[in-house]
Amino acid sequence: MGVSPPPQPFSRQLFYSFFKSLVGKDVVVELKNDLSICGTLHSVDQYLNIKLTDISVTDPEKYPHIGRLSVKNCFIRGSVVRYVQLPADEVDTQLLQDAARKEALQQKQ
Amino acid sequence: MCVFRDGKVCVPRGGGSEPEWGPRGASLPVGVSAQLTMFRYQSLEDCPLDEDEDAFQTLGEEDEDIDQFNDDTFGAGAIDDDWQEAHERLAELEDKPATARELEDGAVSDEMELLGHHEENLAERLSKLVIENELEDPAIMQAVQTQPPMQQPGGLNSSIWDGSAVLRRFRGPLLTQEMPSVSVLEYAMPQRPPQSQEDDRDLSERALPRRSSSPIIGSPPVRAVPIGTPPKQATVPNFNQQILCPKPVHIRAPMQQRYPSPYGERMSPNQLCNVPNSSLLGHPFPPSVTPVFTHLQRAQLLGGAQAGRMSPSQFARVSGLVCSPLTSMNPKLLQGRVGQMMPPASRFRAFFGAPPPPAPPPSQQQHPLCPGSHLQNLRPHPQVFRPDTTHLHPQHRRLLHQRQQQNRTQHRSLNGSAGDRAGHRSSHHEQLRKDPYANLMLQREKDWVSKIQMMQLQSTDPYLDDFYYQNYFQKLEKVSAAEEMHGDGPKKERTKLITPQVAKLEHAYKPVQFEGSLGKLTVSSVNNPRKMIDAVVTSRSEDDETKEKQVRDKRRQTLVTIEKTYSLLLDVEDYERRYLLSLEGERPALMEERKQKICDMYDNLRGKTPGQERPSDDHFVQIMCIRKGKRMVARILPFLSTEQAADILMATARNLPFLIKKDAQDEVLLCLLRPFSLVLYHLPSGTVTSLLQQLANLPQSATVPAPANLHLAAVLQNKFGLSLLYLVLSRGEELQNSSAAVELMQDNQWTELMSMATRELLRIPEAALAKPVSTPSNLLSLFSRYVDQQKLNVLETKLQLVQGIR
Repeated sequence: MGVSPPPQPFSRQLFYSFFKSLVGKDVVVELKNDLSICGTLHSVDQYLNIKLTDISVTDPEKYPHIGRLSVKNCFIRGSVVRYVQLPADEVDTQLLQDAARKEALQQKQ
Repeated sequence: MCVFRDGKVCVPRGGGSEPEWGPRGASLPVGVSAQLTMFRYQSLEDCPLDEDEDAFQTLGEEDEDIDQFNDDTFGAGAIDDDWQEAHERLAELEDKPATARELEDGAVSDEMELLGHHEENLAERLSKLVIENELEDPAIMQAVQTQPPMQQPGGLNSSIWDGSAVLRRFRGPLLTQEMPSVSVLEYAMPQRPPQSQEDDRDLSERALPRRSSSPIIGSPPVRAVPIGTPPKQATVPNFNQQILCPKPVHIRAPMQQRYPSPYGERMSPNQLCNVPNSSLLGHPFPPSVTPVFTHLQRAQLLGGAQAGRMSPSQFARVSGLVCSPLTSMNPKLLQGRVGQMMPPASRFRAFFGAPPPPAPPPSQQQHPLCPGSHLQNLRPHPQVFRPDTTHLHPQHRRLLHQRQQQNRTQHRSLNGSAGDRAGHRSSHHEQLRKDPYANLMLQREKDWVSKIQMMQLQSTDPYLDDFYYQNYFQKLEKVSAAEEMHGDGPKKERTKLITPQVAKLEHAYKPVQFEGSLGKLTVSSVNNPRKMIDAVVTSRSEDDETKEKQVRDKRRQTLVTIEKTYSLLLDVEDYERRYLLSLEGERPALMEERKQKICDMYDNLRGKTPGQERPSDDHFVQIMCIRKGKRMVARILPFLSTEQAADILMATARNLPFLIKKDAQDEVLLCLLRPFSLVLYHLPSGTVTSLLQQLANLPQSATVPAPANLHLAAVLQNKFGLSLLYLVLSRGEELQNSSAAVELMQDNQWTELMSMATRELLRIPEAALAKPVSTPSNLLSLFSRYVDQQKLNVLETKLQLVQGIR
């Protein structure tokens, strides 16, 4: 019986899909440890792990070790993210609402 | 030799000694053992075939050996049972593939040959690959560094490494690269579920390979890990082994000259034991700290060994790192540390148990230019971070590339000469070289992990699952296409994003059955979730709900209605796509559904009143007071029939001041303009008149001369209202100009309304007048009919009707 592992529930795929559309855009990721990292979204996966390129620490640089490297890429585990600040014009809120509604419908079924 | 718990003895063919297979071979004199290299891993690979195990046990020759090595196995030498469990797991693993079973018998002897093969050079190896392929024995395969490109789905390696049949074939070209290792992951596989699955799904069923129990898994080997002993050091391991031999430390003999390693030096995990031990010991930690050290050493080694097992590339890297220091250190350290190495070395067994053996001993061929090769390998690493964009929507890809180019030009302008860049690059290389975390994994392993992830994302309905992404870029494309249309004539070829869609397969769960047992085992697994709690789901019906408190909260009720209507709307919007996908026979049914849903929507909007009259706009107004309600109405309008749409328009016009007041915060009414104008276009003149009436809030019958028409005034002062009014007027004008104008002209009401409208327009101070979205061009001609020239001029200036003024 070759059943694949259950794919991510649609709820998670909504944000995955959403973030996929933001790949290449500049975002600020605020972590649960209050660290804010600004960078270009390079990739995201279904766990919402985030890879950023060209990162810099926004706000006072309490973590200068990041600032020392010239080219900076980072990988952030999805579970430690608190917020992701996005450019507003990159988001289609209507579409997002629709997607959320569809997802809710699906979950009901 | 290695001794297993079961008492099997396996002696892989080591350097210089005769190949002796325990169960079949002669007993081994102790003295010989000193020279024998003990290949624990190999033994594990080769031996643990259940059937053979049984055979082994029956042989008496093992007894001596058992006694001989018992202590080492179970006494001081043994730390914990990891390796045993791993061995069992391994045994099970090898049991599973059906093909393995067939070959087991033949496998043993072949294995012996294979063991010899390990020491042959690549050319021969390759030529024998074909033969090996036929064997398909997992044990053999595990001994093989390179996975043969074509393997049966049931094969251990193939099923682990290649998630799907499609991907299975790619490994051929990776021949040289794959040397590194049958990865730890394969060996560490926990028991597989019963193998009745589809091969395609094999990978998915497996849990992620269990890492060893060591807590320091995956920690990068200490820089001192001399994984990459340079070629000159090839003999060192031998030396080590000799020293270590008395103990049944299952250390694989160095497989020399095995394959040219693209990654430079590599050492078998076992060698790591020997060599790294010393260097590990020597390097960061003073020998005196032995106990702590051992643990640390263990961990390091494990980390290193694991890493080694995982990827020879890591070795390469480390080798790159430690090339020079290592060469000098090793012999010294080895000699110095040998004694100390013993206990830790034996302890390593435990750890090595967890991640099983394997990795085909990395080649001893050390490239003289190890750092160079390392760098070579690293060069592909992006100095410019070039992500793989093949899976992206073409529009997305375009955007990304644009962005990248912008950045690049920016950088170029900033950096100036190429020299700067070179410097940057070299510093980057510097960092890479020193980066202990680089190349921890083989490309193949990375792919494997990615495949697991990707398999989870295979969707049966990408449109639904990936709704936002796909639609977002579709919209973007439409927008850009629209812009382009204005510019150039021909549409350029627009590529579409095609998401592979996996067919939904129906799987009947077949419960595990044991022969001779009654009934079926119910083992709960991810594919067969069992009900643990007998919870009864009681869902309240609609009637019940209406009796509940929710009814009392009108706003909430409205919200619920809106959401329900939204669901309908989304469905209706989807019908076009479904229509295209559906079969001919289904289409009428789809159309019916669609119509029904549209009616439902309309009913929802207007409130379900059983009577003919729709007495109150209340329901509708309530919806319109909520922002998303307005948006929803705007989206629904195109689907409604003309009458229905007109009805909506009327209702809106009737209640406009109220809505305007409510909209002060949201200012969303404007979104209605566009659909309204579309509707207007289809309306007959009579309706237009009534519409105007509504706007002016005049009762149908009599004209009430009022000093000021508050309704209209409010309308005029609001952007939306004014725009709407203009639209209506404009439409009226159009109708007048057209053939249907006759009616309108004869309609007194229209004239009255017009005069009223103009009167109001004149009366209102200019400042109070709202700025409309757009001023239709025919208003001037409209007004000219009803007002005299003087007033016309006033209107002109006031409303900025003339193009120039604007």
